Amino acid sequence: MSKTVDIHVHHVTRVEGHGNIRVRATDGVIEKLEWQVPEAPRFFEAMVRGRKYEDIQTVVSRICGICSVTHSLAAIKAIENAMDIPISTQTDRLRILTHYGEQLESHILHVGYLVTPDLLGQKSVVPLVGSHPDVVNVVIDLHRLGNLMMEKLAGRKTHPVRLVPGGFAMLPTAHDLRQLKGELVAAVPKLEALAEVVANLAGGVPHFSRETEFVALVNAPTYPFYHGDVGTTDSDEIVSVLDFENVVNEYVVAHSTAKWSKWHRDSYMVGALARFNLNADYLAPLAKKTASALGLEQGCCNPYMNSVAQVVESVQVVERSIELIDEILTAGIEYQRPEAIIQAGCGAAAVEAPRGILFHRYEFDENGICVRANISIPTNQNHANIQKDFEEMVPQIIDQDQDHIRQQMEMLVRAYDPCISCSTHYLDVEFV
Amino acid sequence: MKSTVLIGLGNLLMSDEGVGVHVVHALLNSGRLPADVVALDLGPGGLTVLHAMTGFARAIFIDCAFMNLPAGEWRQFQPEAARTVKVRGRQSLHEGDLMEILDLATGLNRLPNEVVIFGIQPASVEPGERLTAALQNKMGEYQTAILQEVGSA
Repeated sequence: MSKTVDIHVHHVTRVEGHGNIRVRATDGVIEKLEWQVPEAPRFFEAMVRGRKYEDIQTVVSRICGICSVTHSLAAIKAIENAMDIPISTQTDRLRILTHYGEQLESHILHVGYLVTPDLLGQKSVVPLVGSHPDVVNVVIDLHRLGNLMMEKLAGRKTHPVRLVPGGFAMLPTAHDLRQLKGELVAAVPKLEALAEVVANLAGGVPHFSRETEFVALVNAPTYPFYHGDVGTTDSDEIVSVLDFENVVNEYVVAHSTAKWSKWHRDSYMVGALARFNLNADYLAPLAKKTASALGLEQGCCNPYMNSVAQVVESVQVVERSIELIDEILTAGIEYQRPEAIIQAGCGAAAVEAPRGILFHRYEFDENGICVRANISIPTNQNHANIQKDFEEMVPQIIDQDQDHIRQQMEMLVRAYDPCISCSTHYLDVEFV
Repeated sequence: MKSTVLIGLGNLLMSDEGVGVHVVHALLNSGRLPADVVALDLGPGGLTVLHAMTGFARAIFIDCAFMNLPAGEWRQFQPEAARTVKVRGRQSLHEGDLMEILDLATGLNRLPNEVVIFGIQPASVEPGERLTAALQNKMGEYQTAILQEVGSA
């Protein structure tokens, strides 16, 4: 009797946005194997055309509710690049601190609420309340801290209002920063507890590995989230963020409304694992120790370990945030009015979103009106790599039970922490 | 230390679904809330409700609620007096159920000592940025009831 595998996951759960998995195979012969993105395009690049430079970050932050700070910062940096707007050391430090808050919030959301249930064999975080209340409480506390950082620094936990070209519309007080530092110091043992839980569950991480090109920011004074150029694990080549289109090489496929990307190979991966593989030497001491305890080593090509790399990065941003707050308080918070001289220009920037490198480019006329925009989202850059992982992994497990194959594929998608609703782009395609 | 958190929940783009947020903003603008009350617009809510309740002895929620009542009617009740029958699509992080979140909080020992829900029966939860007349006409009544609960009326 022939064995048929027919998987159609219509919208993978526990990811943001809509993505489908389609597999059809008979007697081990795969006839169809697709990672599909059916989200509608959202036209953000068209929306900002005709708007003034100072409104751009407010509009594009709405691309994503989870990484709205990253989108705001990428837009602001690109605007500052286009108009030669200088920023102070204080602004730079405060922006990085705000961005760390978002990394923490997003990573904890992903690892705690979306991935841990997989590792504990549950469908969601809800059953864990009964079986692992201590773990859930730690996750909630850390998630709250990430939100608190964004609230105190950017004015809101989502869609920041204080981040503007040239600086901050309103500065945090020294009291705010001292309060945050106290909470960050208290978070360290909670992160250690979470890392221990993840280490104990590491046996549940599927053993799958595929030679992969990893792409992330490099060349920064510290583990790069906000500064740097574009690097790859495939060569020593370093590309200026001003030339990011030469990295992302976007293209379209018939079964996805989102654009796909490739650089030196058919696909590449961005995100926490890419950052770790390119920059692990720059990790702070406790983050390094955590990576070691979790068995994460540079050169890891198991995409499921992306979630483990997110735990390491959570430690990293808490450690660095404590140091940054000390630096800011030591220097003293000085009132600085954000200022810009409006001029025509074109600028680009990159910032590491929690789920990978994000690029923004804008062109302005002499009145500071946006005439062109181009945004390359990390999840778009990962779509081709998810497909390539499927193509390597599924033949290895095609003889197994259909539910097991489906679960491994869903877990793989979730490991990339995709934000599919962000990833849809200005496209008009027809499914055939 | 402020003792009470007043939380308005709802989606302002879905007409009466956003009533909790409308009421909280009206109360904030009225200047009549006691000094020991923190009032928050938490939008669709979700897990941030757990964060917002942390450290408070009392939490008061204002939310749109289907209760088989005439549109615009409201009920004040405690969580244990009701159970959720909401069927969720489970495809969006934006979709939440306050009753489920309160269950989570109970299981995690994060529930304030006192929790009160002001449920308001909607006339419509279809797309729209305004409340329907059935609810708009009762905004004063809702505010008075909540001010009584927080001890300021």
